[in-house]
Amino acid sequence: MTQHFPALLVTAPLLCALLVSIAGWLRPRLCLPIALVGLGVATLAATGMLAQVLTSGPIGYRLGGWDPPWGIYYFLDQLNAVVAAVVAWVALVNLAASHRAVQADYEDKQGPFYTLYVLAVTGLLGMVATGDAFNLYVLLEISSLTGYALIGLGPNRAPLSSLNYLFLGTIGASFYLLGVGYLYIVTGSLNMADLAELLKPLYGSLAVTTAFSLIVVGLWMKMAFFPLHAWLPNAYSQAPGPAASLLAPLMTKVMVYVMIRMMLSVFTVDFVGTQAVLQQAVGWLAVAAIVAGALFALAQRDLKRMLAYIVVGEVGYMVGGAWLGNRIGMTGAVLHLINDAVMTFCVFLAAGCIFQKIRGTAFEDLQGLFKKMPWTMAALAVGALAIIGVPPTCGFFSKWYLIRGGLEAGHWGFVCALLFSSLVNVVLFFRLFEIAFFEPMAEGNGHGDHHGHAPAVAIAEAPLSMLLPLMAAALGLVALGLATGPLVKYVITPVMPTGLW
Amino acid sequence: MKLISLALVVLLGGLFMAATADFPDWGDPASPASVHVSPRYIEKTMEETSVPNIVTAVLADYRGYDTMFETAVVFTAGVACFLLLRRRDPRPGPERIYRHQATGVIVEMRHKPAKEPAGEVFARIDDDWVPHDLIIMNVCRLLIPFIQLFGLYVIAHGHHSPGGGFQGGVILGASIILLALSWDLRTAMGRLSEAATGLMSAVGVFIYAGVGAMCLAMGSNFLDYEALGPLMFVDPVHARSLGIFFVELGVGLAVMATMVLIYKNLASEGRLDQGL
Repeated sequence: MTQHFPALLVTAPLLCALLVSIAGWLRPRLCLPIALVGLGVATLAATGMLAQVLTSGPIGYRLGGWDPPWGIYYFLDQLNAVVAAVVAWVALVNLAASHRAVQADYEDKQGPFYTLYVLAVTGLLGMVATGDAFNLYVLLEISSLTGYALIGLGPNRAPLSSLNYLFLGTIGASFYLLGVGYLYIVTGSLNMADLAELLKPLYGSLAVTTAFSLIVVGLWMKMAFFPLHAWLPNAYSQAPGPAASLLAPLMTKVMVYVMIRMMLSVFTVDFVGTQAVLQQAVGWLAVAAIVAGALFALAQRDLKRMLAYIVVGEVGYMVGGAWLGNRIGMTGAVLHLINDAVMTFCVFLAAGCIFQKIRGTAFEDLQGLFKKMPWTMAALAVGALAIIGVPPTCGFFSKWYLIRGGLEAGHWGFVCALLFSSLVNVVLFFRLFEIAFFEPMAEGNGHGDHHGHAPAVAIAEAPLSMLLPLMAAALGLVALGLATGPLVKYVITPVMPTGLW
Repeated sequence: MKLISLALVVLLGGLFMAATADFPDWGDPASPASVHVSPRYIEKTMEETSVPNIVTAVLADYRGYDTMFETAVVFTAGVACFLLLRRRDPRPGPERIYRHQATGVIVEMRHKPAKEPAGEVFARIDDDWVPHDLIIMNVCRLLIPFIQLFGLYVIAHGHHSPGGGFQGGVILGASIILLALSWDLRTAMGRLSEAATGLMSAVGVFIYAGVGAMCLAMGSNFLDYEALGPLMFVDPVHARSLGIFFVELGVGLAVMATMVLIYKNLASEGRLDQGL
């Protein structure tokens, strides 16, 4: 059975998504359990594969029994095994937390909601596991399409934000497809490993450079790399809670993974290294992304919007780190990819918990929240510390690698931007905590008594089904931080190509 | 802003054109795309899968995994339309219009009747009803069975001629949509209810993925149809051909149902009561 883990990773959720859809028409109560089973199997497979890869090296899987490059091939090394495990775990924990929020807002549509949720995860896992450039596009379509629908389900202006995302996302995906088409024209192959071999003699070709630029720009659109980020803040802040805490941590991160995969395994560092102008330009774009993300976040008066802009800045961290052109920077980028998935998940889930109780996430709504929802706010605080980069949370370590990478590359702009963004994050979160800790609760928000005393605030926490996953995420941040050493040594270092010094 | 956009477009267009210089010549038999993976498909398809139509073999076997997800994309589009468009609130406006079946006389009720007029004698029709058009309705009624028959042929004959699940499914779906256009949405809903379309689109993809999972259960790789040979009492090569046929059936079902589902939701603003 273990040799079929790569297939199970993707097809178990797919099959369960279809069953969820069928159950949605016949027995709506069964939707969530089936979805949990699907993602549970995927998580099991992902975790099993990570263990397998760590003990006995990369695994491949021939879908349909055809050898690459004729058939589609799954290839899992340390890099995508760990990303797949993170994606599967985050999606599973978030699904476990979604029950109350979905029931509150989308009772009559939980069948389609969970169907799309599980399909989105199927797409994300498939993109991570696949070793075929075109198969990746098909799965990108699945996760994008489900993402548009899940975001469009949100209240008020969410459909408009989703439409905006749809336009830009489709352009991005088309760019990727066009790039893959260029590669097919010049090589005749779609398999990533095969492409890497066939491309080697073609590095001087303008068609290959164009293909590379198309693919990378397309991916930037999908990951909201500044200045292509315009769709993200509205889409992620207006999405329904469970959808936001699924897509915000995972979609951008998987896109960053795909970019890194393209840079390391398809075009290889030998090619990327020759694009000196591009490398310089991307470095400074990343600086702009980090600074702009920080400044925009400062201007927000709503928790979810602020978090969305922080995501924009974080994408800048990872893209910048990956393009520094040295081993430490790339290590930092991969490490940050893993960490950021969990910390974004933690803070978005906390925002979801707050929204579930308060029905709003504007800063005015958050007054006195530490007394009302102490556990949620504690988890949000841990997430905030990770985003700021305070040890022992994981954010510190990846940022440390990124800064060291910047120093080694002599890219002072990147280093300064990282430090600036960390400082802004401090301001952002402490401003938030000041409101939530010191400012008294607004009228009617707490249960005041009639004897002239200060109003006693009743603790009104989010339901336990949301709180436990949130606690798990917060603990995960610390655990990941403590596991940084082994993570870098056994997972990230082995996949760094020798071309990176 | 417009100037920047224009400059970008010109720049990109120039880059694309410059890049074509490195492309192989148009129709060059020695181009990389023609000499790398294609020869195997062209030479071996018949002996490996016993499918005369190479396109079908590549689509549903060599790269069948992609096609499974393409079907899932179609299904996703249907579910997404349902999720975003479907609404349960009643249509505004109190008028309810009925046609007396025997005489064709139209009755309009300003208030909701205490008891719905009997379906045999009166039939509820759309607010923006048009008089019966004998020619259109009857011509379509005559045509639709043949359209559907052709759709089934296209699905079943994908091994030998252009066609397959996607094309056949679209033809089948179009036949139901034609019914909805020439008669009305109510009639089409009577033939294929909302739950039926929803279930069929999921079941269609499930057939595809289920065939794959069946191969897995038989101890082979996912979608490796050869493993199904013992189940169907045929040799492995023939099993591939049959496996392709089964997944094409699933594709046809999913595509048909999804087309109808999307049409119904779009045509009736998600209320599924009356439409175009």
